Amino acid sequence: MSAVIEIEGLRKTFHSLRRGRRVAVDGFDLLVEAGQVHGFLGPNGSGKTTTLRALLGLVRADDGRMRVLGEPAPDRLPRVAGRVGAIVESPQFFGNFTGHRTLRLLARAGGVPTSRIDEVLEQVGLRDRGHERVKGYSLGMKQRLAVASALLKSPELLILDEPANGLDPAGIREMRDLVRTLADSGVTVLLSSHILAEIQLICDHVTIISRGRRVAAGRVDEVLAGFDRHEVLVRVDEPDRAAELLRAAGLTVTEHPDHLVVHGVDDGATVSRTLGEQGAWVRELTPLRPDLESVFLELTGPAGHPAVPRQVDGSPESGADARDGEIDLDRRGVDA
Amino acid sequence: MNLVRAELERLGARRFVQLMVVLLVLAFGVTALTNVAISHQPSPSEMTVAQQKADSERREMDLLHERCLARQRGELPAEPFDGSYYPADCSEVDPGLRERLPVAADHLVGVFTFSKDTRPLLYFLIAFLVLFGFLVGASYIGADLNSGGVVNLLLWQPRRIAVLGAKLGTLMAAVLLLSLLATVAYLATFWMIALVDGHVGPVDAEFWSDLGAVWARGLVVVLLATVIGFAIATLGRHTSAALGAVAAYAVVWELGARLVLEILEVSRPDQLMLSSYLGAWLAGRAQFWDRNACTDPFAGFCDGTYTLTWPSGLVVLLLLAGGLTAAAFAVFRRRDLL
Repeated sequence: MSAVIEIEGLRKTFHSLRRGRRVAVDGFDLLVEAGQVHGFLGPNGSGKTTTLRALLGLVRADDGRMRVLGEPAPDRLPRVAGRVGAIVESPQFFGNFTGHRTLRLLARAGGVPTSRIDEVLEQVGLRDRGHERVKGYSLGMKQRLAVASALLKSPELLILDEPANGLDPAGIREMRDLVRTLADSGVTVLLSSHILAEIQLICDHVTIISRGRRVAAGRVDEVLAGFDRHEVLVRVDEPDRAAELLRAAGLTVTEHPDHLVVHGVDDGATVSRTLGEQGAWVRELTPLRPDLESVFLELTGPAGHPAVPRQVDGSPESGADARDGEIDLDRRGVDA
Repeated sequence: MNLVRAELERLGARRFVQLMVVLLVLAFGVTALTNVAISHQPSPSEMTVAQQKADSERREMDLLHERCLARQRGELPAEPFDGSYYPADCSEVDPGLRERLPVAADHLVGVFTFSKDTRPLLYFLIAFLVLFGFLVGASYIGADLNSGGVVNLLLWQPRRIAVLGAKLGTLMAAVLLLSLLATVAYLATFWMIALVDGHVGPVDAEFWSDLGAVWARGLVVVLLATVIGFAIATLGRHTSAALGAVAAYAVVWELGARLVLEILEVSRPDQLMLSSYLGAWLAGRAQFWDRNACTDPFAGFCDGTYTLTWPSGLVVLLLLAGGLTAAAFAVFRRRDLL
């Protein structure tokens, strides 16, 4: 598959008289291949939006190499801009313009036929509200309008920064279906979101950024598999006895008030057999698989004290930790 | 071209622009109605009296000039008995060299006279258009930068210079067009008022040429104010940056620094003020008096005046607008748009 987005060694530092120097992106790499629905995850302030802005030529990178649809970005971005639809954070629109007029102005500026406007309004569910003023729109409707603006160009590559912001559950599902439909029609999608369950449902690939650096990348199932500790949850009538039996069989067991967790088990049958042979019958045996949320929190958040509020991801004071801890299951593209 | 058309539609759809156009029409209407209210069509007897007064004034001027020449020729005593003042150079009182001679319109009371009253009214229109250009220029880019409109546009057209250039070009064209239309409507209205409810007065080729020169100079100031408002708001990312910069300049430099320079007895402080060059450009020339030029009481005659001419005024205004615009484009080209 051909690379649609390639970012290698991206660095960006912001300088401010008041806040001093802040490293936003610190040697970040990203590879998105054609046809992927690629999730881009990271905590607040981790550098996601800065990366997308640099890719789209809105922020000047200090260092690094970027290519979009094979063209160097941002220098040759104008060559491919017509094939890239993007929204970055929550776009603002003039309140006294209607949604239809907003799109018409963008279509006119980009040389897109205005016949596309009704199509994209239909796609994002704003068909009947397109002639209302934007200032009367809810946050979710504005977000839909933003997505509509990105779709106007019939893009080959769609970059969506937090598209589910402000959407209600039904809206989130519609957005998921829309992204899936687009992906099925061959559009490559780069999707940044905080809603990890959504990413897990929509995306086939994922890149996780923390403190400006990539800490994981690859297929979603492979990234999750990398964090599988082969743990099994066990419920039995006599937990104390069961724990002794399992330990005697050489397994590591953690006791909880109403269940046991057995660590390092490749096959759950080992547990049921060990207990069954001793007459301790298992009521529940559940493999504990990691989900994206647990992986994300493990990769991006320091294991803080529960009583201490978690702080927004800041710039790294020392770069060694993130680089050393990177889980990279898909290194092919950037170096290829 | 697509970009310019889109920008033109955006500009026309902006509430602030619409509000300013409404204010322009209101100010225009109030001015016209005021003139209609205070004016009346002069009766033949009023015209006759006014014409007689103008003729008498001309005769007095001719007489003064003739006496001055006669005194120079020695036909009259050097010290006239009637106490009249005759300058050493009689061309100073030569009616033929005067900018304009007395006309009947000068002596019409309560009559709107097109030939006499249009010039100050045109200055009023220019002042409003300067305000319009500056505020619209500043808010057009300031609001777009602040609201993310520019970012939206750059996602479609990732050519920063082209986008900013299209905005500025569209803005300039729109302000120029509005100025042309407003001027035509303004002059046509006052021409009609003069015809119906006042007096047209002598409007020869020279009159139109003078009025055209005032208007052309004013139009240049309108366009420069538009560019300056746009450029400062681009540099400061906000509409308020332009307003703040002008207010700060007026208070800190034009008022504060002028006082300090006078206290320090710096020569020709007016030469350092932008307003002096603006005045020189608009009026054709501006004369100032340097209080520090004639400090020696025994030096005899000393002329402390100095003049700024319109070319120097134009150069300073162009340098200011050009410098700010170049800085705005250079900064915008490299700026991080967050």
